[in-house]
Amino acid sequence: MTAASSAKIPVTVVGGFLGAGKTTYLNHLLRTGSARYAVLVNDFGAVNIDAGLIAQHDGTTMTLTNGCVCCSIGGGFLDTLGRILDDAIPFDHIIIEASGVGDPWRIAEIALVEPSLRLNAVIVVADASRISKLLIDSHVGDTVRGQFDRCSLVLLNKVDLLNRTAADAARATVAALRPDIQIIETTEDTLPVLPDGEVKATSRFAATAVNDSVDHESAFHRWSYRRSGTFDRGQLTAALAALPPQLLRLKGQCRIAGDASPALLQMVGQDWALTPAPADMTAQNDIMLVGVGTDALPDAAALDAILDGALIQVSQTHPTTADLNRRHAAFTL
Amino acid sequence: MSQDTIVFSARKIVTMNPSRPSATHVAVQNGRIVAVGSFAEIVATSGAKVDDRFKDKVLLPGFVEGHSHIMEGMMWSLPYVGAFDRRSPEGKLVQGLPDIDAIVARLQEAEAAMTDAEAPLFAWGFDPLHIGSVSLTRQDLDRVSTTRPIMVVHASFHISNVNTIVLQRAELDRTTNISGVVMGKDGEPSGEVQGIAARFRVFRVLGTNPLSGNLTADDVNRYAASSCIQGVTTITDLHNDLADLTIEVYRAASRRDDFSVRLVPAMASVSHSPEQGVEKIKTLKASNNDKLHYGIVKLVVDGSIQGFTARLRWPGYHNGAPNGLWYIAPEELPSIVAAYHNAGIQLHIHTNGDEATEVALDAVEAAQIAKPRPDHRHTLQHCQMADAAQFKRMKSLGMCVNLFSNHIYYWGDSHYELTMGPERANRLDATGTALRVGVPFAIHSDAPVTPLSPLFTAWCAVNRVSSSGRVLGKETEALTVEQALAAITINAAYTLKLDHIVGSIEAGKYADFAVLDEDPLEVAPEKLKDIAIWGTVVGGHVREAPRA
Ligand SMILES: [Zn+2]
Ligand SMILES: [Zn+2]
Repeated sequence: MTAASSAKIPVTVVGGFLGAGKTTYLNHLLRTGSARYAVLVNDFGAVNIDAGLIAQHDGTTMTLTNGCVCCSIGGGFLDTLGRILDDAIPFDHIIIEASGVGDPWRIAEIALVEPSLRLNAVIVVADASRISKLLIDSHVGDTVRGQFDRCSLVLLNKVDLLNRTAADAARATVAALRPDIQIIETTEDTLPVLPDGEVKATSRFAATAVNDSVDHESAFHRWSYRRSGTFDRGQLTAALAALPPQLLRLKGQCRIAGDASPALLQMVGQDWALTPAPADMTAQNDIMLVGVGTDALPDAAALDAILDGALIQVSQTHPTTADLNRRHAAFTL
Repeated sequence: MSQDTIVFSARKIVTMNPSRPSATHVAVQNGRIVAVGSFAEIVATSGAKVDDRFKDKVLLPGFVEGHSHIMEGMMWSLPYVGAFDRRSPEGKLVQGLPDIDAIVARLQEAEAAMTDAEAPLFAWGFDPLHIGSVSLTRQDLDRVSTTRPIMVVHASFHISNVNTIVLQRAELDRTTNISGVVMGKDGEPSGEVQGIAARFRVFRVLGTNPLSGNLTADDVNRYAASSCIQGVTTITDLHNDLADLTIEVYRAASRRDDFSVRLVPAMASVSHSPEQGVEKIKTLKASNNDKLHYGIVKLVVDGSIQGFTARLRWPGYHNGAPNGLWYIAPEELPSIVAAYHNAGIQLHIHTNGDEATEVALDAVEAAQIAKPRPDHRHTLQHCQMADAAQFKRMKSLGMCVNLFSNHIYYWGDSHYELTMGPERANRLDATGTALRVGVPFAIHSDAPVTPLSPLFTAWCAVNRVSSSGRVLGKETEALTVEQALAAITINAAYTLKLDHIVGSIEAGKYADFAVLDEDPLEVAPEKLKDIAIWGTVVGGHVREAPRA
């Protein structure tokens, strides 16, 4: 399990409406990164992925096509991704550009269920000059709003086209959708590098801004849950479903009765997954989960009680500072 | 008349040619119709050889299915477990299954016949709606096998049910609640999987995806056999990437003398940029032959109404469900439409909900203003919720429509109760409105989504009755039998720009006939679907339908 999990290929999904700059961002990543990327794109936008950049990376690019009878992403995409996973030399990173009217999270879920993958980030690129209007557009407003529901990072792009007041207004509209999310203001020349590696991988659970001067700490609450013992799988399913909607994210390590090794729990919104815990987390034998919620998140005691209901044996622990530091290194929360 | 002319005599020939509506004799030479008329007009003067094998039959123009998919041919390699009777390409009446036990029994039978112990068992056509909304659980499928992977694809093609071994191998058994893994009452996955993540994982552990396999000659032959059984002589494959391999399979099949249907594939716009698409259509058209007709392009704007993925205008879904999905962004549609429109290519645009229809009308209008093009015949496909105002726009824009009349029977009740409510459900697939406004229209099955059978589709448009017996808008939207027959022959050919060569029995056209036991214009309208079909004639070649 350890070997398998260390070989997991990180997946980043880039979403956002037409013209936001998704393909420009992919080209930027290819130009600035050195890893071997597999890039899956919708090839028919105004900007095309630069094939030369792909070649430079010894990587591959494939076009998504909807192969199904009448709707939705079908066989073509799944077959293509399958071929990428079967490549003799594993890719360093898989980057998928969602369609301009697609929901990037639907694609991101693949990385949560496919054991050879891990979800690195779901990035939504938004055109700062259009986003406020798009969000209330009668035809596509609901589609565009949905793209932000579960993203881990927003690139508020093309801010150079706006004055400060307008840029702040655009940022505020996006922040209103997702108070907990990191928003990076970008222009075509200042696009960020790909969030990468284990540390950055968990950044979707944090709001610690790298390039972000605005303090979002006050906009959301955190909750830590530490126990020794094990969860009953069925009870845990019920407990997770009972957690309030104000809890946006929950992540950490736990033990499940009957399983030999610890598990990594990742929950975003109502969706969760249990996967074998990465090697650097398996030294611990207790339960350590950290959640992020809105400022209306119920207090810790109420939340604790819900998860306690799933425990087979309950015993409060008082971790040492050293323990906490180690955990923080693992979770970077 | 020349030596190689054959005159078929029939009890009656319903020509669908308004200037000569009926006849008894049709002369055929080199696959085409030389003359249509009476014994006196055709035989007495020429002394031509008469083939009277159809003397007790009724000939109609071969039916034209204007919206179906080659997947109909692919699915029949797998067991069918749907609720309604369906005719297999071998001509066998495959009984619809009323409950879970019957489904399990059919799967057990299929499982027992399999020789490779490891091979997965796939089945198709499951539709919980029509068996009392019960679900097919993994425990049900475990009764078929606990060791062989089993996957049952729903009639919608977007949802599947698997047995426990599949969940275990895919590690979807108890470790996730991602949106596509549906939980049962016990808090554990029920075996129902949907959405791309769960499907990806399942197909990966099964090692194969029955919905995206490479097209084979067998698939195309099954499609042709099913066509013959249903009296169809021209059939679409209305959404295809047209990969090189597919093109080769179609080329080879269509060049065989014994290939018994004319194929009209539509290139899926999504698989090509408009520039590539225009070029590809040009190249493909150059390879057309008498049984292979490239040239049309399909755009898919939204999803399906019963899946709540169609885009609806206000007031939206009757039950309050959120609006559906765009597959092409409304603001991107005009440039795609314009690219093909300007290149002289005909578009077939899937729009189920009326909001999707609206943006498609806007896009065609913009293209027509920028570059007026007479007789483009861009056709809205399904277009199930259009109101009179939208039909009037189609008319002014020179558009056609192909309405999904089979929906009235299969989903009419859920449209009435859940998706549209009574008023809009009553004008579902508004053939009457299309007639009054004067929009040229066809009606279709979207096979394999519903069974391929133009006579059944005509029956739906005439009787407008749902599977539970509810009559929907019959006074205002129903067709007469004659109008419905036009919608599955000459008018369907019109929507494909093939009405100059097929769709009616008249001099100059291909000798394509549906051979029926009875005259549809004489049977009671509610019996239209029950008329036995003997077979077809395609380009003068007689094909008796297989019976098993
Ligand atoms: Zn369709
Ligand atoms: Zn279709």
